[in-house]
Amino acid sequence: MTRYVVRRLLGAVPLVLGIATIIFFVVNAAPGDPTLYMMAPGMSSEVVEQLRVNYGLDQPVHVRYVKWVGAMLTGDFGYSFSYNRPVLDVLMDFLPNTLVLSACALGLAFLVGIVLGTIQAVKQYSGLDSALSVVLLFFYSMPSFWLALMLILTFSLMARNVWDWPIYFPASGITSTGHDFMGPWEQVADRARHLVLPTLSLALVLAAGIARYMRGSMLEVIRQDFVRTARAKGLPERTVVFKHALRNALIPVITLVGLYIPVLFSGTVFVEYIFAWPGMGRAIVEAITRRDYPLVMAASFFFATMVVLANLLADVLYAVVDPRIRYE
Amino acid sequence: MKKLLALGLVGAAAACGGDDSGRVTFSDPFCADVMPRVQDWVDQQREANPVPDDPRYGGTVVAGAIGEIADGLNAAVTSDYSSSQHQMFVGLMTLIEYDADIQAQPYLAESWEVSEDGTELTFRLRDDIYWHDGERTDAHDVAFTYRTVTNPETAFPNAAFWDYYVRGPEGVEVIDDFTVRIRLQPHSEFLNAWSTVAILPEHLLGDVPPAELRQHPYGSVCPVGNGPFVFVSHAAQDRWVFDANPAFPEGTGGRPFVDRYIYRVIPEPTTLLTELLTENIDVYFAPTPDQAPRIQEAEHLEFQTFTFRNYVMVVWNSRRPQLADARVRQALTMGTNRQEVVDAILRGYGAVAHTSVPPFHWAYDPEIESLPYDPEGAAALLEEAGWVDRDGDGVRENADGVPLSITVKYNQGNQIRQDIAEIMQAQLAGIGVEIEPLVVEWGTLLQQINTPELRDFDGVVMGWVTEFRLDDTDLFHSGRIDQPYAWSGTQNPELDRLLDRLAVTLDRDEAAPLWAEYQDALIEEQPYTFFYFIERLDGWNRRVENVVMDQRGEWVNIRDWYIDPASR
Repeated sequence: MTRYVVRRLLGAVPLVLGIATIIFFVVNAAPGDPTLYMMAPGMSSEVVEQLRVNYGLDQPVHVRYVKWVGAMLTGDFGYSFSYNRPVLDVLMDFLPNTLVLSACALGLAFLVGIVLGTIQAVKQYSGLDSALSVVLLFFYSMPSFWLALMLILTFSLMARNVWDWPIYFPASGITSTGHDFMGPWEQVADRARHLVLPTLSLALVLAAGIARYMRGSMLEVIRQDFVRTARAKGLPERTVVFKHALRNALIPVITLVGLYIPVLFSGTVFVEYIFAWPGMGRAIVEAITRRDYPLVMAASFFFATMVVLANLLADVLYAVVDPRIRYE
Repeated sequence: MKKLLALGLVGAAAACGGDDSGRVTFSDPFCADVMPRVQDWVDQQREANPVPDDPRYGGTVVAGAIGEIADGLNAAVTSDYSSSQHQMFVGLMTLIEYDADIQAQPYLAESWEVSEDGTELTFRLRDDIYWHDGERTDAHDVAFTYRTVTNPETAFPNAAFWDYYVRGPEGVEVIDDFTVRIRLQPHSEFLNAWSTVAILPEHLLGDVPPAELRQHPYGSVCPVGNGPFVFVSHAAQDRWVFDANPAFPEGTGGRPFVDRYIYRVIPEPTTLLTELLTENIDVYFAPTPDQAPRIQEAEHLEFQTFTFRNYVMVVWNSRRPQLADARVRQALTMGTNRQEVVDAILRGYGAVAHTSVPPFHWAYDPEIESLPYDPEGAAALLEEAGWVDRDGDGVRENADGVPLSITVKYNQGNQIRQDIAEIMQAQLAGIGVEIEPLVVEWGTLLQQINTPELRDFDGVVMGWVTEFRLDDTDLFHSGRIDQPYAWSGTQNPELDRLLDRLAVTLDRDEAAPLWAEYQDALIEEQPYTFFYFIERLDGWNRRVENVVMDQRGEWVNIRDWYIDPASR
């Protein structure tokens, strides 16, 4: 197992480097450069030239590539053009925010998806099953950003200004503006309150998909001989479903973890914009439009690594839950 | 899952720095060194200067806008509006300030004088302004700032500020600790730069090589100012926090009324509007025109607009045969109903532009004879210029059979500019001119129009923001034809003469008639079809009182805003 993981990790190195190389040349091939975004009357061509020198853009692209790879291998990702700070510092500001949001959304999505899928499978063809199917299909076909706006409209604007609910949720940001003056538990509660709407808008869409998978997988397992045997030997239905069927039905769902982690990163871009969540998705989109090459490179390098690691994680989890699978 | 959530929350709470005393901590070495001194100084000054007994003092004002304060307080590298505003009015100080009539008033400089021949400008500084780490602001800081912004290696974006100044160390001389002399050639509105370029601290930045200033943490990680507000913290793409400077002297307006000012970055306009309506933010800078009715309807909100220095136009490339004749360019303007454009796409929040001179500016000629919307007159002008529909296809041709077909480019993702190109297409078709709108990615477009060897466009929809010191030399003077912004390729001796004279005419009364001539000449030449000056919209909660926003900017009197005591 350890050998397998090491082998996979070593294999990932050229893969990630290859991705970084392609991105480097594609990003640099795009017309324009960061100096164009400061254009104003009075900004002479000498100033533009000097800026390019200060940014190191006066050198040909292959020289910059070699320098970039060399520096990166020593852990130096350079300075961000748009934030005027070391790229790693910038990423370290955004990364925790994205991870918190993604982890909560992914956790909630799997919890809700697995529970609902199991209920549907156990009560197949019941009124509850059909009702849940309709609701889940509704969420599944809804884009995150639209759901986000509807959540804001309902639980923020209408809840506070029209219906006067005792609790409503903030539409933006990760903390209240009075956060600095709160006690430690109040601070945690404040953060949780800000997490609710963005987490829901990401998780509901994902949960709907996971529930569909779960229902299918559970139905397959529940018809198998060992489940019938368990029932025949007189085990209560609870034990049959949760102990025998559920564990086996979960195996294919675990693949989804690996698949959804990258989806979560790309899906967070819209949600981060709408909820003003200072995360990686926003950082990378803004870096691309402003031609902030160092930040684009470091962020995509990070994304590529995450995807490779997530897939590895899914494969390893497979072996953990399914004793039939061995990696040699 | 619960564990995961709890872990995430604890991790997130721990990620934001803060020590036991509630102070923000900084990991960057420069900031870790300087910020504790700032925090100590503020604590001392709070004790030494108790808040005056006046109900207007206190409270937090929270403002929101779609963009970051990109350059922070680094005045040496700033090219964007909100950074510049925060330097001028929030964190730093400029030597002079403009009043509502755009007349220079003392600020950091308590007085100034110009030598007889106009080549020496001497500022006398206040002696009661302190950097927020306790050092006093003096003439050495001014000299340092001047040397820095005029040093080519800094790449200070608005180089035109120094067109008539003696750049570098020779241009500035410290007479005594509070007197500084700057050398220049006499030119119009020479004080303008000093109302925009804020003074930077030499004791903190003096050792930084100019080419590395842009990347220095001073800008947006831990700026140390001397202005009415003290920097507290900044989380990228999230918020800036400033506290009132307890020691800001009475002579420059005194301690701001609000205790704390928070600037939040919320990139989605719908969310911003929601936060304003639900009172999570007090001020919403620059809402979109379609949001105006919602703000006006809400009883707890105030709504205001002002005409801004930003105009939108279609640039005509006079190097092209179809566009070489001024009569054709005049006809293109006369065939377009610009008022309709303002009403349709800006919901009326704009003022039709006739030239590059904003309607609120002293140089604006109210009696200006602009080109009217007159399709018949436009058609007659085209006939006169030799453009007639010779083959009956609905498009005019010249004697050589070249059709009057013009491509108008605009940048991707800019709906308003796309609308302008398409409205022109529809309206000019009626007078036999074929306009083809063409979308181009922003970076690519700038390269096509800025590169002197390329100038790959017939017409292009663009916008400019002007300074209070108007100067179109870079745009229309034939001497700058190989510079990036000579988009129209204008070569007009009359315009050259007026631009040359306007640049060096010091007296406003003497300049006014020249400006009137200039505006007439520009209308005659029509290098651009000037569309409109935008109006900036702003919405705020009525609990924030005494808010003034005008062409000087939204933050111009932020130190006088106060929160209605009943609503705290």
